[in-house]
Amino acid sequence: MRAVNPRKFGGRMSSDVTEPKWSLRLPADCSIAAIRSVYDLIREAFGRQDRLEIDCSSVDKADVTSIQLLLSAAKTGDAQGRPVVLTSFSQSLRNTLRRAGFASEAMIDQHFPQKKDGV
Amino acid sequence: MSAMDPTEVFRQEASELFEVLEGALLDLGQRPDDRELVDSAFRALHTIKGSGAMFGFDKVASFTHEFETAFDRVRKGEIKPTQELISVALAAKDYIRTLIEDPQSTDDIIGEAILDDLKRFVSSDQPAAPVVEIAEAPPLAPVESKQAGWHLYLEFESHILRNGSNPLDLLEDLCKLGPCFVVPVTDGIPFLDEMEPEDCYLKWDVKLHAACDKDAIDDVFMFVSDEMKLTLSPLEQVEAPAPMPLFQLLDEEPAPVVEMSAPVVEAVAAPVAAQPVARAEPKLEAKPEAKPEPKAEAKRDDRGIATVRVQAERLDELMDRVGELVIAQARLTQLAASGSDLSIKMIAEEIERLASSLRDTTMGARMVPIGSLFGRFRRLIHDLSRDLSKPVEFVTTGEDTELDKTMIECLADPLVHLIRNAIDHGIEDTATRSASGKTEQGRIELAAVHSGAQVLVTVKDNGGGLNTARIRAKAEEQGLIAAGAVLSDHEIHQFLFHPGFSTAQTISALSGRGVGMDVVKRTIENMRGSIDLSTRPGQGTTVTLRLPLTLAIIEGLLIRVGEGRYIIPLSAVEECIELTAEDERSRGRNFLNVRGNLVPFLRLREIMSSSGTPDRHQKTIIISTGETHVGLVADQIIGNHQTVIKSLSKLHSDVTIFSGATILGDGTAALILDVAQLVTMAQSKIEKQHISEAA
Repeated sequence: MRAVNPRKFGGRMSSDVTEPKWSLRLPADCSIAAIRSVYDLIREAFGRQDRLEIDCSSVDKADVTSIQLLLSAAKTGDAQGRPVVLTSFSQSLRNTLRRAGFASEAMIDQHFPQKKDGV
Repeated sequence: MSAMDPTEVFRQEASELFEVLEGALLDLGQRPDDRELVDSAFRALHTIKGSGAMFGFDKVASFTHEFETAFDRVRKGEIKPTQELISVALAAKDYIRTLIEDPQSTDDIIGEAILDDLKRFVSSDQPAAPVVEIAEAPPLAPVESKQAGWHLYLEFESHILRNGSNPLDLLEDLCKLGPCFVVPVTDGIPFLDEMEPEDCYLKWDVKLHAACDKDAIDDVFMFVSDEMKLTLSPLEQVEAPAPMPLFQLLDEEPAPVVEMSAPVVEAVAAPVAAQPVARAEPKLEAKPEAKPEPKAEAKRDDRGIATVRVQAERLDELMDRVGELVIAQARLTQLAASGSDLSIKMIAEEIERLASSLRDTTMGARMVPIGSLFGRFRRLIHDLSRDLSKPVEFVTTGEDTELDKTMIECLADPLVHLIRNAIDHGIEDTATRSASGKTEQGRIELAAVHSGAQVLVTVKDNGGGLNTARIRAKAEEQGLIAAGAVLSDHEIHQFLFHPGFSTAQTISALSGRGVGMDVVKRTIENMRGSIDLSTRPGQGTTVTLRLPLTLAIIEGLLIRVGEGRYIIPLSAVEECIELTAEDERSRGRNFLNVRGNLVPFLRLREIMSSSGTPDRHQKTIIISTGETHVGLVADQIIGNHQTVIKSLSKLHSDVTIFSGATILGDGTAALILDVAQLVTMAQSKIEKQHISEAA
């Protein structure tokens, strides 16, 4: 696997050693039109850290494919013992989740491991 | 190999969908009560809309959405699809096509005008007697209407998102029927490594608390019904109040957890739960139909590899390569035959067999059902029928008949001319038809059928037939024949193919200028085919096109005339006989007696101006076009030859008796005889003989 350039992929380094060292900010477009590149982005980032934090604050376009990708990332992380944490769900992403039937915060919490940071 | 541009793929797919849409709309004009046709049209529209949005054709998506909305009353059975409405819908389809294929050539104002027309038609209070009957019919199952709602399990085919369909929109539509309780089923979500991000893995378990009938639910999923599995079961009345509808939830702030009903929280207790729904609803455990069926999966896989989209140029290139291979193989065969090495001969035979098999396979890959062409004319006839106020029934047969794709492309324009002529000149107006005891509606039949190595395409109308006297008078007026010359009806009808010849008394936008039939004949002959006319006064006219299966490689009969070698297309060869001394002594009349029938013959040595002494035993090859038989006298019949057709240069364009050339095994060229021209030549020779005898 080729080296990941955090800048290129919207990644950022954390200075806090107790926090995940690497987090990934999803692009604005996470719809089916762009999901392949988002998928590649997550896969590349996935293998590099024990913990992966995915920042969803910029997501402006989401659909079924975005939800599935986040579910798959969570499932894969869980199976491999590499926790995946989702942060800062954008309103657009929340709306899409609700349209798909993830209608309550409890449901979202159950399916998507989140780090609550006040957003 | 370069990947195809995704927008180009969309254009191609849209093109196929337009054919479906047009076909459904035209059929709807004939069968306005056929609900399946309405559904078919809507499915095509919906896919165009979804895919258009996905590939950035926003105007297409937006217009198609408006089109769908306006046409929705037809779908609901509230209004009947009249001919006027169908015409506007067809115009809307044309506009969408232009938006996709050539957006610069149109304007928004056209689209707005079409939509206004569409809305005007659908908003008028047209009674829809037969449809209303269906709408007002009692519910299919009275029991269904009394229940508390429906339990649905939705499982979509994996590719559905790629088509532009959005399950979330469908869930929203479902929620419009009544309060919905939607639970996503995530057990199909794969690990990242196994995932195709554009595939659909989510499924949904839905409780719809509304006493709607099953048709209303089917309507929601109408566009995707072929691409999903929908399991429906009646929901029993429960004491607990219906949960908050999803739509309300969407419009509000995130709902507090306490507002959600308990089963849901239990149902989704574990992330990516294996069976959340089953735990929530024990009754659903015994629901094997909701599980993916291995057989269904296998079927999907088969379908995925059943067809491959290949660019037409690649098929042409492949055919060229095969042509070169056939020529090289012929050289090898000739080389092997001249030597005495048995092993080389065996290899040459093996390669000959393989080349022949490869040729057939390649030609098979280029074959296209002629139905793809026939479909285009339905619209033509619909529009002409409307413009000329001549109701016409259009019947096609033999759509499965396959023809080389190049032939199909070349055939489109000639058929347009023939069909236009059939409606404009052939079919009478309704008053004339009624007066002559015919039905008011005319009939045009377009048929295709295999006949040996040829395909016969016929255009038949049940109009008034050709006016032979008028054709003759016109021919005399134009100086094509002498007044009072003795000609058969068939010979007189041939003037219709003369450039600039028209008997139409008025020139219309459609026909009457005398341009057309000569072009048709020339095009068909360029395709190495022939055209024939037959007519019965008052009963109609039939135009028959005889076409070879392909234009690339043909089976030919190699003959020798003097020192030259020539190819006769084998499809035109009826039989080969020896020219007897009796035939030779036929007083220069050049007729053979073939089992009691007199067949005219041409001496190829004379036509080719061959020098030297003719072979002692001359051979006659009987060829035919349609019903006409002619003998060609040659020195020697060499045998069958796989003929790769090469075009003649422009320098030879005025040599009419050759349709092309080919390369023989020894590297020399042989000319391919144009059978239609030779037959014409024989006929004119007979005519001259008749005239001189009469004189």
